[in-house]
Amino acid sequence: MTGSIQQLSDEQLIEQARNGNVRAFETLVKRYEQMVYGFSFKMCRNKEKADETLQDTFINVYKNLKQFNGKSKFSTWLYSIVTNNCLMNRRKRKMDREMMSLDEPPVEDGANHHESIPSWDDTPAEKMMNTELRSHLDNAIHQLPEEYRVVFVLRDIENLTAEETARILKLSVPAVKSRLRRARIFLREELNDYMVQ
Amino acid sequence: MKKTHRHTLNCRSVYKHICENLDADINSAQCREIRAHIAGCDNCTAYLDSLKKTVHLYRAYPTPRMPAQSHKKLIAAIALNKSHNIKQ
Repeated sequence: MTGSIQQLSDEQLIEQARNGNVRAFETLVKRYEQMVYGFSFKMCRNKEKADETLQDTFINVYKNLKQFNGKSKFSTWLYSIVTNNCLMNRRKRKMDREMMSLDEPPVEDGANHHESIPSWDDTPAEKMMNTELRSHLDNAIHQLPEEYRVVFVLRDIENLTAEETARILKLSVPAVKSRLRRARIFLREELNDYMVQ
Repeated sequence: MKKTHRHTLNCRSVYKHICENLDADINSAQCREIRAHIAGCDNCTAYLDSLKKTVHLYRAYPTPRMPAQSHKKLIAAIALNKSHNIKQ
């Protein structure tokens, strides 16, 4: 019986969960909990907050399963809920520091400089994830406003398409591309001093 | 032998393309022109390389495994919500 429920598709599990089968819902949880936890961690870079978002997300999903219309993938719906939770938690924490404007990406300014751009050294695999580098990566992404961070994480880390990202964030595809461009430039600039040392 | 071009409008438009597409293999006339520019420009090559490394570093950043305790806590919370059954 356990084996058979695990072989059901997402749609079948959702249908059973809607009819009150908690085990079907638990199977969905097992299937997607690491994805939700990982995405939450990549957004907030904090294990406790990732856990909090994981709990909030699945409780929301459980309560609102009837609202899932099946037009998008279940994972896409989950990404939407996690994103909303992350953005809402930020508002709750009143961490709305003055919104940094990325309207004018630094690259345009950089393009006016008449000096050469230093190369980034190749980072050996074993050195790549040392504590110091991780700390720089965490700091840089923390500086990036969440509206941009979420686009960077969905597109460049989670490998979602521009169309999927646009659907999750209720943005146009050109808006997703624009935010991704600015996010990449911002992070590159933040890491530049460290990487050219 | 590559040259370090002084930044011109040409480099600026190349930067914009680089930032949007990294090295996406788009085969339009504009993209071929941009690739040709990058191949001959040390600055644009270095810029493209640094953007790709930025993305690569974040992709390579290990994602922690979800603690077993989180799963248990979640299943307990769902059981608590059972009384609010999905079936209303």
